[in-house]
Amino acid sequence: MSAGIAPARAREAALLGLGAVTLTLGAGAVLLLLGGYDPVAAGASMLRGSIGSWNTFVSITLVRSVPLLFAGLAVALAFRAGVWNIGAEGQLYAGAVGGVWVALTFTGLPSLLLLPAVLLASCLAGGLWALVPTLMRLRLGIGEVITTILMNFVGIYMAAWMVHGPLQEQRGVFPQTDRIVEAARLPALIPGTRLHIGFGLALVIAAVLAVMFRRTRLGFQIRAVGASPQAAAVAGRIDPARVIFISFLASGAIAGLAGGAEVSGLTYALYEDLSDGWGYTAIAVALLGGLRPGGVVVTAIFFGALQAGAGAMQRDAGIPAAWVDVVEALVILAVLGLDRVRAARAAAPTGEGGA
Amino acid sequence: MSDPLVRLRGVQRRFGRVQALAGAELDLHAGEVHGVLGANGAGKSTLFNVLGGLLAPDAGSLEIEGVQTALGSPRDAWSRGIGLVHQHFTLVPALSVRENLALGLRGRSLTEVGGVVEATMERTGLRVPLEATVSAIGVGDRQRTEILKTLLRDPKVLVLDEPTAVLTPEEVDGLFDLLRELAGEGRAVALVAHKLDEVLAVSDRLTVLRAGRTVLTTERAGASERALVAAMVGSGVADEIALGVHRTGMKRDAPARDPSAVVGRLTGVTGERLTNATLEVRAGEVLGVAGVEGNGQHELALVLAGRVRPAVGVAQVPDEVAFVPQDRRTEGLVPDFDLTENIALALSRLDRFGAGPLMPWDALEEEAERIRTRFDVTAPSVATLAGALSGGNQQRVIIGRELALGAQMLVAENPTRGLDVAAAAYVHGELVRLAAAGLAIVLVSTDLDEILELSDRVVVMTRGRIVVVPGNERTREGVGALMLAGRSQTG
Amino acid sequence: MNQIELTLFLESAVRLGIPLALAAIGETITERSGVINIGLEGSIIAGALGGALGALAFEGAGLGVLSGAMAGLLVGLVFAVFAIGLGADQIITGTAVTIGGLGMTGAIYQARFGATGTELSLPTLAPVAIPVLSEIPLVGSALFAQAPTAYFAYLMAPIAWYVLFKTAWGLELRATGEAPAAAEAAGVRVRLVRFMATLFGGAMAGIAGAHLALAHAGTFAENMSAGKGFIAIAVVVLGRWNPLLVLFAALFFGAASALQFFLQALGFDLAYQIFLAFPYVLTLAALAGWVGKSRAPAALALPWEPHR
Repeated sequence: MSAGIAPARAREAALLGLGAVTLTLGAGAVLLLLGGYDPVAAGASMLRGSIGSWNTFVSITLVRSVPLLFAGLAVALAFRAGVWNIGAEGQLYAGAVGGVWVALTFTGLPSLLLLPAVLLASCLAGGLWALVPTLMRLRLGIGEVITTILMNFVGIYMAAWMVHGPLQEQRGVFPQTDRIVEAARLPALIPGTRLHIGFGLALVIAAVLAVMFRRTRLGFQIRAVGASPQAAAVAGRIDPARVIFISFLASGAIAGLAGGAEVSGLTYALYEDLSDGWGYTAIAVALLGGLRPGGVVVTAIFFGALQAGAGAMQRDAGIPAAWVDVVEALVILAVLGLDRVRAARAAAPTGEGGA
Repeated sequence: MSDPLVRLRGVQRRFGRVQALAGAELDLHAGEVHGVLGANGAGKSTLFNVLGGLLAPDAGSLEIEGVQTALGSPRDAWSRGIGLVHQHFTLVPALSVRENLALGLRGRSLTEVGGVVEATMERTGLRVPLEATVSAIGVGDRQRTEILKTLLRDPKVLVLDEPTAVLTPEEVDGLFDLLRELAGEGRAVALVAHKLDEVLAVSDRLTVLRAGRTVLTTERAGASERALVAAMVGSGVADEIALGVHRTGMKRDAPARDPSAVVGRLTGVTGERLTNATLEVRAGEVLGVAGVEGNGQHELALVLAGRVRPAVGVAQVPDEVAFVPQDRRTEGLVPDFDLTENIALALSRLDRFGAGPLMPWDALEEEAERIRTRFDVTAPSVATLAGALSGGNQQRVIIGRELALGAQMLVAENPTRGLDVAAAAYVHGELVRLAAAGLAIVLVSTDLDEILELSDRVVVMTRGRIVVVPGNERTREGVGALMLAGRSQTG
Repeated sequence: MNQIELTLFLESAVRLGIPLALAAIGETITERSGVINIGLEGSIIAGALGGALGALAFEGAGLGVLSGAMAGLLVGLVFAVFAIGLGADQIITGTAVTIGGLGMTGAIYQARFGATGTELSLPTLAPVAIPVLSEIPLVGSALFAQAPTAYFAYLMAPIAWYVLFKTAWGLELRATGEAPAAAEAAGVRVRLVRFMATLFGGAMAGIAGAHLALAHAGTFAENMSAGKGFIAIAVVVLGRWNPLLVLFAALFFGAASALQFFLQALGFDLAYQIFLAFPYVLTLAALAGWVGKSRAPAALALPWEPHR
């Protein structure tokens, strides 16, 4: 299977994204009307709850966007390599467990050592979670779509077991871990807000990925294998298995960071339902961002705003937060639809012109 | 003569920038075998696909039995009694021969199909292994299955696109007898075949296409071979070049060279579709590898080009081998990459582009620009996507890129397939020039004429085995006999 | 373990396996046509809500199942329009349909029954014991004292098998999934076949969802499909795209899920969450061990457009 969405050129991707968002807002408004809600009021409370003030934007929207940003970058990297990693959700949970375990175990370490160890552990755990599907694809030829989905469930239950069993808080009452020590917590990125360094780290990873795709041999090989594994192997003498191995594990590691950064930057403990399906939302984020790191940053913040606004919408206008999922689905469908229309127009006979 | 069963007029069809048909005409009468001739890219297949309902024409009219008709799909063509045997197999590899035949008889119950299949096999003498899975049978059987599948529906008009390409000369004779018989039953049979003599042998009437137009329709009896060839190639400038290359350029003297300069050597290579392949490739020669498609040539090419390491046996090939793979769009190029990226695909691994972790894009872009200019690639710039180029220009990009590798050996697989006359002539010219410059060239092709014209030595592949063709048997007949011999040897 | 415990285990194995079997048999047909519908989860949850609402509206569980089938089909239609009609990527479309299905049902449910979700009381599909068969020792009551939808699954497996392998229509379906170009050349309407197969899969998933709501839980809850759509897709692979084997694979998964009773009876004391994860791990292991390189339909997940 090769990537179904050709990474569009930057301008096209941006236009596509804007078109999709416009379509989605229109369709969403119609659906809300059908549901008997006032779309204007809904929109207003959505805007208020996401970008109503500087503090709302930073402490709610941007904070919400951090796991989406990590997971979205992870998915974009995998899809670029032609790897259908639908497993960011499980990798995220694995990363959260790995990070929290280090934070709870090596409590004596100074922050300068402990924090990197926490993040590294979440990377490793996320990568490990991706290793199973990677090997199953490369060694046994079993498609990663199904295996990554199965690993999601295993990851979710593994985390649930941790907070009920080995890592449960000391009193053994609540399904959560103890709070991690101060030294294992990510400091604030902007003092006085809840936005933690994790956001900055995600931006750095986005920048690294962008440079990698554009400038480095590895990035070029990843793009080549994603676009055409046969041509990469025959014309480029690239070993697709090696490139897939590297990209898949790196994708898992970055998705693991989504979980690690969440516990060490925001919740300071592991909970059963840490993620609200972020690993799946990340697919929409990556796609709407045109599988480009810069685009992912923009769309992750957009989805962060959606989720922040949805909370406000539910409080102010009584509109179920589940609507956000509907909006997410509409965004993906709109991108797919517009992309197909664009492709059809590009493929149409030109009519005039010499042969 | 009575009214034709099929009358095509002014048919036009464009693919992107290529005008494949530009006013083609064709009349097919009941009781005749009608040969359609034309050079590569003249539009024969396109015309037949229009007739088979696979392609919608941009303009033109189709009358069947005097009734103006538009074919919206292959179903429409079927329901009007037109049966098309495709150039490329349209069998489902995972299904059995019987199931594939049943698919051709869609709509009828499977038990009913059984009877029809038996009866048709009996009547036509086309014997196929019914219970075998298609992926497990040979190309000859596949071709017979394909023809049988079409005949099962009892078409009034039978259209065959290159049915002989994968058959041995003896099998071709059998097929032609059948076609004559079918015409004798009052059907119209239309046939495209690559080889002029084959078409002449079986046809009652002939139509010649050139550059998408019908330039000549004539009775077989009144047509000279010379006039037909002239009609096929025309007098355009590009055609002159083509003729020049075909007629004179190829017949060069064997260059004086050191026979010991072996550049590549295979010893006892055995693997997927290869059985004990032993071969030497020498500097300055064109080694032609002939054979019916699917007899291991592709696998041989991959091993010779160093793309596949043999499981058994020894392959001594240079570290770098220039490779022009058969499938330009999936193995040669990344259609979604621009020219620079496609050139970087192969060249960035060269020492002269450094070894650091960064891509030397500036140098690669210069190199791409150089190749674009040197090989006359018609593209606005090196930022053009490869997928937007014509087949001929894609091939120029690939050849230019592979030559820039500076390898001692070049492996080219069906390098002119799907190219127009001028582009094919260009490719042929390059191969000859490169051999003269001392490269070892392996030309793998199913086009026997191409092989015979360009090669210094010829080998034939049958069922994964290599048979060397002695100099005195380097004729169509001789090579054909070897293909057959190889078959009977291995069963 | 005594006989009562074993019977209990088998009963829950079948009970947990039936919704998977229903959805997976439908998905088998869909995949045989060359379409992988990751949006199956969306059809299941829509079927559950549709089944619940239908049962309430028509005051009967039977019509509820029918409504569930319609709801699942409708979600399948959305998938088909994008993935087949427009030729969009099937994996991504399916993901969107799953997210949208879960969100939409949640929103409708909350709109209808309030944000907290008042406990619904639905007309349920009562188990029907089949005379004689349900008397068979051990497996009788497990297999033959189930809701009518379970018998529907038993029936659909051989029917789907027969249609797939013994009829002209099934031949065209398989050809479509293996080599759409060849099917098209033979006169098969590839996209139409894929549309029908996908709608059938959606309807079957809808019935699976209705079974969850009406026979299993007796109520609707948000996200009650709990990933069954994804499992069903894995079950199809486990069953090697053969409806009969798929039925057994679904029961196998059901048994793996029911294993907690079995193991607890044997005295294993493992955490509940481990038991929950166990079927997924077992499925992964089964994929690696038993499926190996068994071949999916060659054109699976590849969009098809006639080149005209």
